[in-house]
Amino acid sequence: MPDKLVIFDDNDEPKDMRQEMIYQYFFQMLDIKKIPWEWVYAEKKGQHHIHQKANEMGFDWVWRVDDDAIPEPDVLGNLLGYTTIEKVGAIGGSILTPPLKFDTSKSTGKVSDIDKEPNIQWNYIKQSKEVEHLHCSFLYRAGVHDYNLGLSRVAHREETLFTYGLYLKGYKIIVAPHAITWHFKNPEGGIRSESKQELYSHDEAIFRNTIGFSDSTIVVLNAGAGDHIVFSHILPEISNPVIFTCYPEIVAGKSIAEANALFGDLDQYNIYKKMTQWNWKGSLEDAYRKLYL
Amino acid sequence: MELERQFRRCLSEAIPMIIIAPFAKSLINNKRNPKNYPYWDKLIKLTHEKIVQVGVEGEEQLVYDFKKDLSISELRKLIAECRIWIGCDSFFQHLAWDCGKPGIVLWSVSDPLIYGHPENTNLLKSRDYLANNQFLWWDFTEYNADAFVKPEEVIKYL
Repeated sequence: MPDKLVIFDDNDEPKDMRQEMIYQYFFQMLDIKKIPWEWVYAEKKGQHHIHQKANEMGFDWVWRVDDDAIPEPDVLGNLLGYTTIEKVGAIGGSILTPPLKFDTSKSTGKVSDIDKEPNIQWNYIKQSKEVEHLHCSFLYRAGVHDYNLGLSRVAHREETLFTYGLYLKGYKIIVAPHAITWHFKNPEGGIRSESKQELYSHDEAIFRNTIGFSDSTIVVLNAGAGDHIVFSHILPEISNPVIFTCYPEIVAGKSIAEANALFGDLDQYNIYKKMTQWNWKGSLEDAYRKLYL
Repeated sequence: MELERQFRRCLSEAIPMIIIAPFAKSLINNKRNPKNYPYWDKLIKLTHEKIVQVGVEGEEQLVYDFKKDLSISELRKLIAECRIWIGCDSFFQHLAWDCGKPGIVLWSVSDPLIYGHPENTNLLKSRDYLANNQFLWWDFTEYNADAFVKPEEVIKYL
């Protein structure tokens, strides 16, 4: 049984769904099954903000499902079976939108092939496979990697950036058979209700910039001068670092403004935010070690 | 009289030098930084050695020899020359640690286990005074002079 069901309501005009009879039945079933549930009115800033909230709620694993996605009953159980594999970061199944028109038999699931192949999840998955990114709905290890909150409200590529970020941190990303979610793509919900091309272009640029640094470790030192000095002691341990710095006289690098322009959101590199998230009791040096090594 | 006494002390290069870095970065809300030690005057009087203060323009001058706005390389050179240094939890304690020169850090609300370096003498009166949240801006933490060790205690470690 899940620890909790959290429904994030990002509607323009949120309603109290406890007054809706069909929803009352769902809520009663959850109560009967003793599954705690919470209805959260979201901030209408885009689904990536919602996912990040879930990511920070303190649970070990989060299963993310959009409202236009209908998972078959065995999906969560099957995905959960893979969490015992060492250092698994995320597991996803098939995401099927009828009619199925993509031949995914040769899809690699690598980010370098993202422009050349249909997503491996867009058809039936015959056997489990390690990939580099996932799409739409999946089960993931929470609190390890942040969603990029610098994306626009259309949050184009948000799940690709997120799962690829887990992959770059050394976690396995797996596609699994026997875990089918039907995705009906509500034309009025989520990113498809937005039509501004510049928002997509903005997000696409962040995506391209991020994967452009795949062979490097991006380091963003958006903290104080003393923090830079402490960080400098772990710098030799970081492989192929590309550094953005507030104090180039202490740790040489490019400007923070450039990092902001390239990656949108820098919160994932904020050592103080991270130490808060981790309820940190160790040294600042070890916190930097945890963030970058 | 006190400044004159310190001036005479400065003239004698033979006397070992102590650096003091009394102040942490000023706060955006202009409140007193809760990491700033309240008893410098007394501590300086109890110290019978040449003292050089380092800091930035706008900070209170506590001794005759106040070197302001030094570059990092100038600070490193000075640190190399001193016998020991005394400071609060600020940039200076990290820089001196980086230079491999142990000193005395006077703690209050920030946690030496997080921000300190074991190579230094970290004087914390009690962990009861530590701020509950160590990762917020210090603007939100009230100043409490009682949180610091007294000068008589500090002098024992010089």
